[in-house]
Amino acid sequence: MNFEHCIRCTICVENCPVMRANPDFPGPKQAGPDAQRFRSDREKAEDKWVLLCCQCKRCVISCPCGVEPAEIILKAQQRYGLEHPRTAAHLLFANNYYLSALGSLLAPVANIVAATEIGKKIFRAMGIATYIPFPKFRFRTLGSEKKSRTRAIKKVAFFYGCFINFYRPDIGRKIISLLSSFNVDVVLPPQWCCGLPALGNGNLALARFFAQKNAASLSNYIDAGYDIIYSCTSCGHTISNDYPDILKIPQAKKIAENTYNIHEYIVKLMDEGYIKPQFQEVRQKLAYHIPCHLRALGIGYPAAKLMSLIPGLECEILDDNCCGLSGSYGFKKSNEPTAISIGNRAVARIMKTGASAIVGDCGSCRMQLGGLSGLTTLDPVEVLSESLGIRHIQLKSAPP
Amino acid sequence: MSVTEYDVIILGAGVAGLTAGTFLAGRGFKVALVTSGEPTACLSTGCIDVCSRNHNPLVGIKELPPAHPYHLVPGETIIESLNNFQAAMSDIGIPYVGTEKENRLVLSALGTFKTSCLVPSTMAAAPQDTKASIHIVSFAGLKDFYPSYIISRRNNSKTSVYDAGVSSTMGIASHFEDKDFLKSFIIWLKEQNIDEDTIAFPAVLGLESAVEIVKTISTSVGKPVFEIPTIPPSMPGRRLFNALKDNFRKKGGNIYWGWPVIGVEKSGKIIEAVTTESKGRPNSLNGKAFILATGSFVGGGLTATREAIIENVFHLPVHVPGPRDTWFENDYFSFNHAIGRAGIKVDSFLRPTETPLENIFVCGGILADTEILKYGCGHGLALATAHVAAKSCMEYIR
Repeated sequence: MNFEHCIRCTICVENCPVMRANPDFPGPKQAGPDAQRFRSDREKAEDKWVLLCCQCKRCVISCPCGVEPAEIILKAQQRYGLEHPRTAAHLLFANNYYLSALGSLLAPVANIVAATEIGKKIFRAMGIATYIPFPKFRFRTLGSEKKSRTRAIKKVAFFYGCFINFYRPDIGRKIISLLSSFNVDVVLPPQWCCGLPALGNGNLALARFFAQKNAASLSNYIDAGYDIIYSCTSCGHTISNDYPDILKIPQAKKIAENTYNIHEYIVKLMDEGYIKPQFQEVRQKLAYHIPCHLRALGIGYPAAKLMSLIPGLECEILDDNCCGLSGSYGFKKSNEPTAISIGNRAVARIMKTGASAIVGDCGSCRMQLGGLSGLTTLDPVEVLSESLGIRHIQLKSAPP
Repeated sequence: MSVTEYDVIILGAGVAGLTAGTFLAGRGFKVALVTSGEPTACLSTGCIDVCSRNHNPLVGIKELPPAHPYHLVPGETIIESLNNFQAAMSDIGIPYVGTEKENRLVLSALGTFKTSCLVPSTMAAAPQDTKASIHIVSFAGLKDFYPSYIISRRNNSKTSVYDAGVSSTMGIASHFEDKDFLKSFIIWLKEQNIDEDTIAFPAVLGLESAVEIVKTISTSVGKPVFEIPTIPPSMPGRRLFNALKDNFRKKGGNIYWGWPVIGVEKSGKIIEAVTTESKGRPNSLNGKAFILATGSFVGGGLTATREAIIENVFHLPVHVPGPRDTWFENDYFSFNHAIGRAGIKVDSFLRPTETPLENIFVCGGILADTEILKYGCGHGLALATAHVAAKSCMEYIR
């Protein structure tokens, strides 16, 4: 929708987590539709404050008039990124995929360095915040696993994303076990970073490079009769929202039509009568932090639906707060106070529920909320697997 | 076992939609609420106007023109809806003061009075006459709040300005949530040696903890403290919306955000599902009955074109008050713009008339002949009609 549809009602302003925490950000209304009137292709971008937007998309969801302030700001961020020199942190996080690939290749060394004081100092000197521990690299990444092929009817290609691949391949394996238990054939298609870190750090060209490679790969699988599933809600949002919009990927429409959130897919299988999972009791009280990008996907909260079927499980849905980390946003030292302030607000709300653990679809949300609250964090898949008694699953305190 | 099958689908997240949803979810129905964006309730003063034309709102309602949808609500349902609302808000921690028998006055940012029925407790201490002296605290740089307007009408009143370090409504409100900020603010306030009877603030005293913040300030300075509603961003409106939303969730309701309805699946006289937009495939939500609470023009329920007025979800026939050139009076501030009567005509079950569709119930601002501005009946009418729509819906499903 055009920025001119903005009626200046300020509902987006009320929803902006950054504006509450950092007065330097003029808010989605001013940074988005208001400033858009003054942006000209013939003048150099001077709106450095657009970089303060964490792209949580809460303004987009709340707008009653269909204006998408975050998308307007995202484009302004790309322009600013093109026209101004990038900081070390921006360069590093845009290339998060290569960095992580290197990190997991050298996992033990990389983790030790990242945890030491010297390592932290180096991080801080490069503009990287260290208030929560940097995620630990894992030696065997998911991408190195063999493909599983059975004679199932339903076939899915799993876009696992960087977080699962480099930091939590165990969750990836749980997803594969879970889907296999539903008689779904899971393959791991060739894939690269979804492109969001590059986009979030103002590197449109790199984002498009990744997107094109992924699109070519995923498109082949769709042609071969596979549905695409993702578990990271930010990867999912990038694939279904940014590939067609800002990245203008030719196969994007086809991909978006055939791409499912893992829980959305399970719900679909249940609705079709393909599976009838027998959920067993899980006695626990959980706070379900809804990642902003799950909200923005416009598919409802499918994991909440599934967890509501688990006897004994109390699961309070919390969707009013952004976690503040927003991928690499909070890892930049300049954003650290904002990220902590937003995160603490979310944590305060979580603590009010009296839950014993936090459940959330997004790895980086879990990292932030677990780090700030000290509570155990779980992926919804871990909860479902526990309830369904899937092999090799233990609900224990896992690193966020 | 289907998980996307609901008993009732509510369209619209305003006062009417959330109230109807809470009513049904609380009685064991499976309810989903679909909304495209957040409601105009967020922009409101948070006050529940029942009928502002008479000192006694219930008498005022009786005096409304015969076509007014209030007449479709039984008297006891109006009272029930207000009592339910007050009880729910007290439970959730933002109590409302007032009774259905008597309107109250709320001081506006212009120094005039707004007549309302139930008001947030943070506005309860507002003077009910023009005599009481007020000390107005404003904030450096806060836009659209000018105490001089109030002082020009009350020359025994004074003002002082506090520099909160930020100037936006959201920024100041979130500072007030910080205990240290509040402490230093109170020290400053005590230094002002206020002589006036009461202390007024623009409505920026926090978001989640406004009730306690007002109490804390009032006890520390030993004077009644109250908030004056501001133009949006309106904290009292957002507090109301958040409370209604939390209440709906607590009762087991599901909310689907950012789902503009793009299509409807029908079978004969029955609506089976609404289809909504998403980046990939359209979503579809099945329900046995549907409650239309999408609001009027600003809320997004109605759109006016050159030729006609369109109801955006089901394309129900819209009552149009005469040809387009009669929709508006010349005086912008007139209460008699005919467009205020546009909306959906309904029967006593709040089912739309002039359509064969059987399982739609309509409530709130989208109803025809409401003339909400003229009669001062926005949220009150929403609460009352939401109860009727929910009850009709219950009967229909059974």
